[in-house]
Amino acid sequence: MASEPTNLEFDYTKYGFRQEENYLFKAPVGLSEKVVRELSGMKNEPEWMLKRRLKALEIFYKKPTPLVGMWANHELAELDYDKIHYFVRAGEKPQSDWDAVPIEIKNTFERLGIPEAERKFLAGVGAQYESEVVYHSLREEWSKLGVIFLDTDSALREYPEMFKEYFGTIIPAADNKYAALNTAVWSGGSFVYVPAGVKVDIPLQAYFRINAENMGQFERTLIIIEEGAEAHYIEGCTAPIYSTNSLHSAVVEIVIKKGGKFRYTTIQNWANNIFNLVTKRAVAHEEASMEWVDGNIGSKLTMKYPSVYLMGRKARGEVLSIAYAGKGQHQDAGAKMVHIAPETTSRITNKSVSKNGGKTTYRGLAKVAPGAYGAKVNVNCDALILDERSASDTIPFIEIEEDRCTLAHEATVGRIGAEQLFYLMSRGLKEADALSMIVLGFMEPFTRELPMEYAVELNRLIQMEMEGSVG
Amino acid sequence: MPAIQIGSLADVPDGGVHRFDLGSVPLAVFNVGGILYALADTCSHANASLSAGEVDADEVCVACPLHGSPFDLRSGKPRTLPAFAPVATYKVWAEGDALFVEYSTLIT
Repeated sequence: MASEPTNLEFDYTKYGFRQEENYLFKAPVGLSEKVVRELSGMKNEPEWMLKRRLKALEIFYKKPTPLVGMWANHELAELDYDKIHYFVRAGEKPQSDWDAVPIEIKNTFERLGIPEAERKFLAGVGAQYESEVVYHSLREEWSKLGVIFLDTDSALREYPEMFKEYFGTIIPAADNKYAALNTAVWSGGSFVYVPAGVKVDIPLQAYFRINAENMGQFERTLIIIEEGAEAHYIEGCTAPIYSTNSLHSAVVEIVIKKGGKFRYTTIQNWANNIFNLVTKRAVAHEEASMEWVDGNIGSKLTMKYPSVYLMGRKARGEVLSIAYAGKGQHQDAGAKMVHIAPETTSRITNKSVSKNGGKTTYRGLAKVAPGAYGAKVNVNCDALILDERSASDTIPFIEIEEDRCTLAHEATVGRIGAEQLFYLMSRGLKEADALSMIVLGFMEPFTRELPMEYAVELNRLIQMEMEGSVG
Repeated sequence: MPAIQIGSLADVPDGGVHRFDLGSVPLAVFNVGGILYALADTCSHANASLSAGEVDADEVCVACPLHGSPFDLRSGKPRTLPAFAPVATYKVWAEGDALFVEYSTLIT
């Protein structure tokens, strides 16, 4: 049934609640060698990891804040690294039983619907609260097949050799300033290993929750998909709204070996005071397939460009992303596809909507290296601007160093046409509902790729965002 | 073997690195524990100068100062992303105090 247009802004109450701070440890604000040593010491890490962290801290200090365009430059200048808590420990260790999770934290995840989702349709769940994972589980049927799904801190302890073999090899600390910061103070995140030939046919999910004010969350995720294996990983992120800024800076490294298939789905719905500066990169070997399905609704500033390095013949990469920017938000999102081997294919589909003064930027790279003959690249980015105060930028980089390849690039920027609205309203819809329907249709290529439960939730969120768009 | 003198061994003391500008190919020569290595100085990823990078003597590699890919000093291959293409390697040696590299590979 059609609803009346209202002047409501986005109803974040389901996610915006906060719990009392009742922590085992909370580092004082500010970043220093002492903080890094303390964090590493509390986790009883091996010496090599401490050295990596300290080296990364040096790199972080040396690297300037990236200059990435007028909007983001201004926004990044607001980020004060001295006012962030870099490590907050909320629980003793990851539990595998919800009843063993501290009550406030358990209440948080129950309100967010995580235990219910786990019972209904997930193969495994990780729940991170502040700096560390507080709950982790994997259904027995998958662990019996050799699947590993752990928080990253536990993986370093339990699988040190495999961890060292891959850690930082896809995204070295010096890759960019925020990768350096993450490497210096990383904590929590997911570690996934799927053995050769094992197909995990229901999703694994991780949920990342920030509760404290002025918090920095720096999870580190490492995923290894062996030959012919398949899996789907979903992450969700929320936080309460505060008047001061928080920082989320994750690093995600993924390796997919010959013939493996992997999908990484993100529904990012951070509060509007969060800087979301994330580096995500996958390597796809021969005939492997990597898909990023990336939804960005919340945050103050998101800078995220999931990438796939297509290293083996006939590897395939796909990024399907949406960005929705409302008042005070800037979604600077995109994708990178790097074709290194012959006959590799990739597709980037990016959809963005800006409204009420919001800004969206598509920033992407399509690169075909010498020798990657027969590569096919398809880039499609569409931006919808809903009012005169909102804006959108498209910054596509294309680097072709091989003659025998095909690249197609399409981009559109526009407003909702009066004719479209008139058509729907002539069928009895109110203007607000017509507008909402057009936006949901615009994003449909994304939502149809989500598991049903997430698609319904995402549509509901966007409808809430659309309220008050008319009049 | 055609060779060209590019400088003196004193330019590259043990633990040191020196960039030699020879024609169109800047060359980075490293001395790791008395063993000499020569690489094309320009990183294959984003054109940074490898001679400005940090050498890891235990791993026999140099990390690109811009994005951190470590290049193997023996093979020129990067061990991690974001670089994926190797840089050229050159045969380098000292005769007394004079430092030589193989000539033909540099000219081409």
